[in-house]
Amino acid sequence: MCGVFGIYAPDLSREQIREQLYLGVAQLDHRGPDAWGCYFSDGLALGHTRLSIFDPADGHQPMVTESSALVYNGEVYNHYELRRELEREGVVFRSKCDTEVIQRLYEREGPACLAKMNGQFAIILWDKRSQTLFLARDRLGMRPLYVLERNGALYFSSEMKAFDAIFPGERSINPARLLDHALLWNTLGRDTIYNNVSTVASGTYECYQGGRLTERKRYYEIGEQTRDGFSSLSFDEAMEAFKSKLDESVQLRLRSDVPVGAYLSGGIDSTVISSLVKQRKQDLFKTFSVEFEQSQFDESQYQRLVSEAIQSQHHPVTISSETLSENFLNTIYHCERPIFRTAPIPMLQLSKKVRETDIKVVLTGEGADEILFGYDTFKELKILERWSQGESAAEIDSAISNLYPHLNHYADPKQFGLIKMYYEGFLNSFGNNFVGLNIRMNNNKIIQNYLNKDWGLKSDPADLGSRLDATLPNNFTDWSLLQKNSFLEIKTLLQGYLLSSQGDRMALGNSVEGRYPFLDHNLIEFVFSLPDEYKLQGFTEKHLLKQAFAEQIPQDIIDRPKRPYMAPDIAAFYRGGELVEVAEELLNPGKVAEYGCFDEKMVTRFLRKFKNGVPDHVGYRDNMIFTFLMSTQACQYWIDHPRQKPLDLNKCTVEVFEYH
Amino acid sequence: MSFNAEQARSQLLEFIVNSYMVDLEEIPLDESLIDEGIIDSFGLVEIATFLEKAFKIKVNEEDMIRENFGSVNKLIAFAERKQNS
Repeated sequence: MCGVFGIYAPDLSREQIREQLYLGVAQLDHRGPDAWGCYFSDGLALGHTRLSIFDPADGHQPMVTESSALVYNGEVYNHYELRRELEREGVVFRSKCDTEVIQRLYEREGPACLAKMNGQFAIILWDKRSQTLFLARDRLGMRPLYVLERNGALYFSSEMKAFDAIFPGERSINPARLLDHALLWNTLGRDTIYNNVSTVASGTYECYQGGRLTERKRYYEIGEQTRDGFSSLSFDEAMEAFKSKLDESVQLRLRSDVPVGAYLSGGIDSTVISSLVKQRKQDLFKTFSVEFEQSQFDESQYQRLVSEAIQSQHHPVTISSETLSENFLNTIYHCERPIFRTAPIPMLQLSKKVRETDIKVVLTGEGADEILFGYDTFKELKILERWSQGESAAEIDSAISNLYPHLNHYADPKQFGLIKMYYEGFLNSFGNNFVGLNIRMNNNKIIQNYLNKDWGLKSDPADLGSRLDATLPNNFTDWSLLQKNSFLEIKTLLQGYLLSSQGDRMALGNSVEGRYPFLDHNLIEFVFSLPDEYKLQGFTEKHLLKQAFAEQIPQDIIDRPKRPYMAPDIAAFYRGGELVEVAEELLNPGKVAEYGCFDEKMVTRFLRKFKNGVPDHVGYRDNMIFTFLMSTQACQYWIDHPRQKPLDLNKCTVEVFEYH
Repeated sequence: MSFNAEQARSQLLEFIVNSYMVDLEEIPLDESLIDEGIIDSFGLVEIATFLEKAFKIKVNEEDMIRENFGSVNKLIAFAERKQNS
């Protein structure tokens, strides 16, 4: 895994570009601590920081041929097959590295090469023949690529902190996009929460010539093959095919020239992945887990059970309230956007633990909840759909009361009527294009009351809806309610939070590469086309996964109630009735006024609620508001206090100048 | 002691202002607090508990319907009916 950086600025001098490139590349050191390199041409520069996974001795970047110069972050798992295909066509390779395969493939096929690549990547390639700068991101958007436009110059980077090193203090929050993010847990399409910074959208490539965008094209969309109803496979056929496709995906992701480990959460997804790894690798296999001092968050009992079952060498890291508060700022430094739960913080500690061993690559269970209908929103939608179709009150009642076993008030028969009333409010809206997001948007809408009143922002579902519609594929309307929700969960929660804030940035913050077997696009397309009932059978989530691996993993893991991975939120930032130092620094009225994102009176009033201590049970909403306030303030903190990491000249492995 | 609806409404509004961080003028009297995004499902539970304590009433399972909980004014009318029953 690596960091990539680029500048395309025909009007800047060679000296200006060089100086800016060095500043930018230095800030991506954590993504690739093994080496760095750069390539310069007129009006253009590429930079790279390298974490060596394949061909550590060779394969340094930028990789330069007579036709192109490439910097690339990621892995293309089928590079052996692609190499053989190219060799048959007469291509001669200089290295064993996957980077060269991608470069040669692009040189032969142009942007069409993307359809052949199975993996996670962000690419910046300078095509010398056509004088085109080519940018691309993988299908699911696992690896980041941001674009800053400034005074006619274009800057590209894996992380925005590289822009800050060149233009300290300039990055600024866009209020309207911040509200989008607050409502959806992600911004839409190419948007970020910052002015002048866009992202290359997942599954998309962009071409620039003469310093300007000339082409932008989506080469992949989730569910693109699902047009004519559901697959006709029987459940048993589907289960066998699923098992073999997941196994194949795991095998592909074990390809590496360095040892591969895995994260164990204690849930079924990571258990299945680890079990499949163990079947393939008989040697010592290392697993890693987050444990909590507070028992209500701790899942170590299950993690250890799985580790014993697969005989892994297990490495847990224990998280306390102090770990959360002390590492808060550094976490936001890495993820660069507001978060809604503190759960990314332990993941940064976990990747640190990984690097204390010889492991650089871990397999994780991300994506199973989205593709196999694991989240409660899928059940909520099913309930709403049946309710609107006139299903009996008793059926609806029993479905609702079983929804959230981990939340006390849902199980209380006396209170349950209130919950029913809550869901009743969505009966009119759940069928619109927001589907399950209606519920998240409603829960998060309260954030608008906290925003700076001068911004005059109110959530506008019609406007957001039309912008959402513009991002939807044209076969969206053909899909079932639950397929639509799967698509939207992937686009919002998965891409905007799990793969980015909690995934890529937390792993790469300590130079660890995560790989996600459930997110192989061949597997996604297969599962997407299956009938809803195979995935959510009645109200049993991830039915297909549970049935497929019932024989291979401990029964306790299959039977345990599903619960989301969470960490203490607000409770970790109070000692008695006092805010801990970092929270006091970020949320004091002076700082709130200085940063200008929030209304001081609202923030003060919110905090007053906890002046006598944090109660044992705090609702979703208060935790979410607190974490959002803190993390947004921390984003502004890092804009105002950019780190300036120096460049280690000893680690430079490539420096190419091709001026004309 | 007779039920003073005005006073009860003020008490409830004060509770909502302090618990859900909204300004008094932002609270609609005839709209659902859930639909307006002021409270979530947990908020409904908190309001039911508040009504029980503040107005010395017992909220039963069959009371939990939108007719009783669907707006501030409906909540007050519900509390009044309960106290008088």
